[in-house]
Amino acid sequence: MAISEDLRFLEREALEAVLAADSLDSLDAVRVAYLGKKGSLTAVLRGLASLPPEVRPEAGRVSNEVRVRIETSLEQRRRALASVEHETRIAAEAVDVTLPGRARPIGRQHVLHQIVEEITGIFLGLGYRVADGPEVELDYYNFTALNHPPDHPARALQDTFYVRDLSGDEAEVEGESDVLLRTHTSPGQVHVMETQKPPIYVIVPGKVYRRDIADPSHLPQFTQVEGLVVDEGITFGDLKGTLEHFVRGMFGPDRRVRLRPHFFPFTEPSAEVDISCGICGGTGCRSCGGEGWLEILGCGMVDPNVFGHVGIDPERYSGFAFGMGAERIAALKYGVPDLRLFVEGDTRFLHQF
Amino acid sequence: MRVSLTWLKELVDITLPVEQLCERLDMTGTKVEAVHTRGEALKGVVVGEVLTKEPHPDADSLSYCSVDVGAGEPLRIVCGATNFEAGDKVSVACVGATLPGGLTIKRAKLRGIVSEGMMCSAAELGVGTDASGLLVLPAEAPVGAPFAEYHGLADSVLELEVTPNRPDCLSMVGVAREVAAVTGATFRVSSSELHEHGPTASDQVSVRIEDASLCPRYTARVIRGITVGPSPAWLAERIVAAGGRPVNNVVDVTNYVMYELGQPLHAFDLATIAHKGRMATLTVRLARANERLRTLDGQDRNLAADSVVIADDSGPVALAGVMGGEATEVGDTTVDVLLESACFGTASIGRTSRRLGLISESSLRFERGVDPELAARASARAAALIAEVAGGQVAPGVVDAYPGQRPPLTVRLRSARANAMLGTSLTADEMAAFLRPLGVDVAPDGEDLRCRVPTFRPDLSREVDLVEEVARLYGLENIPSTRPGGRGRVGELTDVQRFRMKLGSVLRSSGLDEHVGYSFGDRADLDRMGWELAPDEVLVELVNPMSAEQAAMRWSLVPSLLRAVSHNQRRGVPEVHLYELGTVFITAEGRKQPKERLMAGGALTGSWTGRGWDEPGRPLDFFDGKGVLEAVFGALHVGGWSVRASEYPWLQAGRTGDIVVGGDVVGWIGEVSARSASAFEVAPHVVLFEISVPALHKAASRAQVTYAEIPRHPAYELDVAFVVDQTLTAERLGSGIRSAGGSLLESVRLFDVYRDPSEAPDDIRKLPPGKKSVAFALTYRSSERTLSDGDVRPAYEKMLRKVAGALGAEVRQ
Repeated sequence: MAISEDLRFLEREALEAVLAADSLDSLDAVRVAYLGKKGSLTAVLRGLASLPPEVRPEAGRVSNEVRVRIETSLEQRRRALASVEHETRIAAEAVDVTLPGRARPIGRQHVLHQIVEEITGIFLGLGYRVADGPEVELDYYNFTALNHPPDHPARALQDTFYVRDLSGDEAEVEGESDVLLRTHTSPGQVHVMETQKPPIYVIVPGKVYRRDIADPSHLPQFTQVEGLVVDEGITFGDLKGTLEHFVRGMFGPDRRVRLRPHFFPFTEPSAEVDISCGICGGTGCRSCGGEGWLEILGCGMVDPNVFGHVGIDPERYSGFAFGMGAERIAALKYGVPDLRLFVEGDTRFLHQF
Repeated sequence: MRVSLTWLKELVDITLPVEQLCERLDMTGTKVEAVHTRGEALKGVVVGEVLTKEPHPDADSLSYCSVDVGAGEPLRIVCGATNFEAGDKVSVACVGATLPGGLTIKRAKLRGIVSEGMMCSAAELGVGTDASGLLVLPAEAPVGAPFAEYHGLADSVLELEVTPNRPDCLSMVGVAREVAAVTGATFRVSSSELHEHGPTASDQVSVRIEDASLCPRYTARVIRGITVGPSPAWLAERIVAAGGRPVNNVVDVTNYVMYELGQPLHAFDLATIAHKGRMATLTVRLARANERLRTLDGQDRNLAADSVVIADDSGPVALAGVMGGEATEVGDTTVDVLLESACFGTASIGRTSRRLGLISESSLRFERGVDPELAARASARAAALIAEVAGGQVAPGVVDAYPGQRPPLTVRLRSARANAMLGTSLTADEMAAFLRPLGVDVAPDGEDLRCRVPTFRPDLSREVDLVEEVARLYGLENIPSTRPGGRGRVGELTDVQRFRMKLGSVLRSSGLDEHVGYSFGDRADLDRMGWELAPDEVLVELVNPMSAEQAAMRWSLVPSLLRAVSHNQRRGVPEVHLYELGTVFITAEGRKQPKERLMAGGALTGSWTGRGWDEPGRPLDFFDGKGVLEAVFGALHVGGWSVRASEYPWLQAGRTGDIVVGGDVVGWIGEVSARSASAFEVAPHVVLFEISVPALHKAASRAQVTYAEIPRHPAYELDVAFVVDQTLTAERLGSGIRSAGGSLLESVRLFDVYRDPSEAPDDIRKLPPGKKSVAFALTYRSSERTLSDGDVRPAYEKMLRKVAGALGAEVRQ
């Protein structure tokens, strides 16, 4: 039975070769060497046909068993080697997960506009709309219609920027002009009341200008948000409740609000609004100057003289107005020590908010 | 307004502690800005006794003393004064003390001898005017006692913020009345007895007012035979406590009465006023052309035509309500005084004092409004005090020109109206109780109140003014908080407002940070940019700028953006990506207000993220800027836009384009020119763009967004490279391919551009001279079936022929 012996020898040799293979490639070479088209076992199998018929079935059975055992061994070895190679590759591909990521840059909204959007969001929720007006205004809208007497000090050349009037009109006051950079967003009130009938619920955000030299606490240009409500039956209590709602939304639910009587030409009664200091909670500390309160806005009931300028009947309608500075709110909220940072465009500043 | 608590307590009974008083004033509209403790200013100044006084060995004018200050060794002090002897009690500023003038006492060598302190004069202590020698104290002064305490200076001074509607609170009496009203305390007015002698005032002085609107009332009194000298201590101290500076007894009395009653007064030296016979004649009138006046501060001033002056026959003697003239000033030799107590119109005083830069206690009060009814009472009070402190006789009567007298005002307050406005439910009686202590004469009339308002409250002229008084005295904190009802009301943004927010958000998603720059502009920036205004455009210029750099309004966002880039680069921040959404301004001859346009501008320089750990930071260029535009136009669904080569002086030639939407130029993009980069001090390679937001909004509002079916069949993809003239734009080639591509051609994407390096030798050149290779990835697709070679090839070959014919483009092999 030479053929069986040959087969057993071949099997032993093949199984040894399988075990000796140390990579998927060399294992495949072993497979080709024995089971490939020109492989040794394949050659033996091909030789079966020439055997005498009486030994053929036995030789066929044995050779088939050998082929199955070699294949089984090859498969076991392939799995073992594949697993090792997979682990090697995984180990090689491991990274230091603490390395920085590759971020796609995303820009930041300017902190002042974040504040303005936040304020806008609160008042949209209360059913207000947003109005705008020109930054280069007429004296009438900035002062006269807001009940400022002709000789009001805010009109002085040292406080208000006047713009060259190219219409050829003569200015009321020598050296001044009827055209100016708005000193507050309040002229927006007048435009709204001229063009809309009550009920009016609006806010007017925008840039305003005053003749202050830029220093840590002043800028010649800053950002205001004005609010105006005109409706039947509006009370000072409504103003108070609205501002309390706003302050809690803007600064947090535990901040207290107080209104102090004050004076503005276009509201009566008028008040300044303080919020309790966020650092000391109202007991007084360095950041609130020991007062426990921080002033954040001015407000009041719309003065009947203002209604007179826009043809709204003060016996039928009443209203309130308020105004606040976005720079001041941002400075308080984030502790910004120098207002000039808001206009310099330093990206190290812009990225903080 | 500075209010001495000691003085205030003479006028009103105050039982509240200072903090509670301040809180009460704050919450009723008179904000207390600060509380100063006056004694503090003299901390370290004590009563001392001079033990020995010897001549200084090296200086005849100095003496060398040893002074007992009640603690430790006697101090050794070198002194220049001569009006004292050993044994005298004096005030001693010890080392470390700071005097009201700001002088801090240090151990110092004077002519070789160490001095351990300083003995002070009344002027140095701020308690008088006498600077000629030491303030020698009475023998019973206790050695070692703090001087402020000994001298009765331990006083609190409240600094009040008085709002413009409350001129009455610019006086001690007014503040006392207010304090009484807000605390419920009792208020009393001090008075002094006036004795009059000799010929009547009206036989000695005549007054004429030319225009009652400039001067509703002018009163004059005559006091003869006075002796000008330093004020008594009580008077000098009151002046100092109120924030003033003692001058002499006559001037100090006029200031005292101003602080006390709120009536500014002026004393003329009667002898220096031009007389007609025995009559001194004064006229209140507008200044005449070319009139001049040398004012008390020694300045010669040209008087503007709208300035009100007090004039005698020789010309102006005082700028009414602002400052007196030097020639008629009360001085050491003055014997007879003409005392002015008048009321001037608010407008003219304000203008004059601002124009001349002369803001005085007097002008401040006139500008806010002085009660015309006060003039005669203040005059009598001041005359009595002058007679008391400077001697002399007050002539009987007051010369009183009062053309501006008005009947008292009565205002009706409807209690229902007040409650409706405030959201309260107060009774008319309760309202009356708030108003009466303010000096309002209230008479009930059913549910209404008839209120006669006092002349010292010009702010109370309408019903709403009384409502305000009720509100603040009731307490704003007691008004219940409510909110307006909301039936039928919606809060929403307009289309334009939502568009602006979206634009900002897309720019941020593209990596740009928002900058908010100054709206001001600099005319010189026109030159820095090389920007030429159109023939009909005029820069918007300010009448009263604060600096040349901010003398106009900006017409472009570029200067603001480049300044921000420069600011960052100078501070070592190279990666700068900014956008600004801001208004620009331009006007034209004949226009009153300028045109305001909202623009979106951008500036990009450096790289996106800087050098990373596994990649270099690629420097940003034109195409990064254009990529931002692509993201913006894509997100806003604006199709049919392109960038067309263009030129602007502030941008580098050849790397500049107009942004065109539907045939309209809506903006531009490019890299900054070398000239502008150096003018704005930025490093080169800054990409800039500027787009009109309204134009962009118009294009975006035309956009129609509809669903397009997601392809179900696979695409057939093909790459092709063309060799074309270098001058042929990618856009023309691309649109040539698209239009010739046939219905199956879905998309054309440019993926490579190759040019031989300009210096390359001929043997390594891959292309003929003047040519470039541009490669495209073509995608063919049918919505009905999977495409085969046979479907695509004919269309592809046809496209190649057409493109070759139209653009001379050859397929690169």
